[in-house]
Amino acid sequence: MEDIAKDILIRASQGDIQAFEDVYKASSSFVYNVAYRVVNNREDASEVAQEVFMIIHHKLKEFRFESSFKTWVYRITANSAINFAKKVSRTKTVPFEEAFGEGAVLNEARTQMDQEYQHQLVEKLLAELNPDQRACVVLRDIQGLSYEEIAQALNININTVRSRLKRSREKLLSVRRLVNYEKV
Amino acid sequence: MKKCEQFKDLILTDYIDAELDRDSAGNLENHLLDCSDCRAFFKEFKNNVAMPFQQAPHQPVPAEIWDTIKKNIEDENQRTNPIADLIDRLRGLIVFPKMVPVFASFALMFLAGSATLETMHVQQAQAKDQGEYLVSLLSTADASNPSDSNSGSTPIEHYFL
Repeated sequence: MEDIAKDILIRASQGDIQAFEDVYKASSSFVYNVAYRVVNNREDASEVAQEVFMIIHHKLKEFRFESSFKTWVYRITANSAINFAKKVSRTKTVPFEEAFGEGAVLNEARTQMDQEYQHQLVEKLLAELNPDQRACVVLRDIQGLSYEEIAQALNININTVRSRLKRSREKLLSVRRLVNYEKV
Repeated sequence: MKKCEQFKDLILTDYIDAELDRDSAGNLENHLLDCSDCRAFFKEFKNNVAMPFQQAPHQPVPAEIWDTIKKNIEDENQRTNPIADLIDRLRGLIVFPKMVPVFASFALMFLAGSATLETMHVQQAQAKDQGEYLVSLLSTADASNPSDSNSGSTPIEHYFL
């Protein structure tokens, strides 16, 4: 997420719509992509992103710069996305082994570098995790946040971050072993 | 074997995430050179779990999200009560630092205390003056009317009569 100058945040908090658009431009990619990966669905991600920015708009006048604006946005985004995912709790569409197993239309060897393949692979892997685990994996592996930043965003301690990542990755490894990928 | 399990835990977390200190990372890398099982585990995890996420393409943000947010904000601004808005704006203009109310309370308490003490001093001084005046009257009465000393009335009665 890009840094935002303090004067832009102050103007946005005073109702300057142009300044708020600057805030949106600097943070929308982070917000939308985290929402998208946690709720695992484009329409729901748009809804979550809108909700996040309306919360930011309402609460910005109360923001006192005692903590980092980025951390504040990380927290609002993660909370909104996790809550949405828990509320919706969609039934899984296609299990991972069906989508990427022997009968899959996609040929892994041929499409290894294909972006759409990567995109689908990540989507199906994330579908195997619960929303809390998904948020941890997304913030770490896709957004590149440190354990400390994830702990602040999710309001949990670092050891909980560590154990959630470990359990998530063990599960993903076991799911990957179910399909017949080429042994390394 | 127990050592291998501990190293695998580190591979799944701190090592792959570059959160491990240099010495611990060095120990793990030395172990990987010696242990083919842990080496295979690391390679399998890195290629099949860690890498897909690292290579995951970022999704472009749909343009209609900002359009909807902007419209929601404009609608809210129109619905906002102008009097409440004015109060909000005034509140924003008059910003007191957090310590001001505390200092103001102390100042008020100090002023009230000073005023009370001052009143007490004045009352004490007045009482003292009255006492001295009475004593002087008594002594004057005693000196000027020695024959009245047996009249049955006291000097204080003379003062009031």
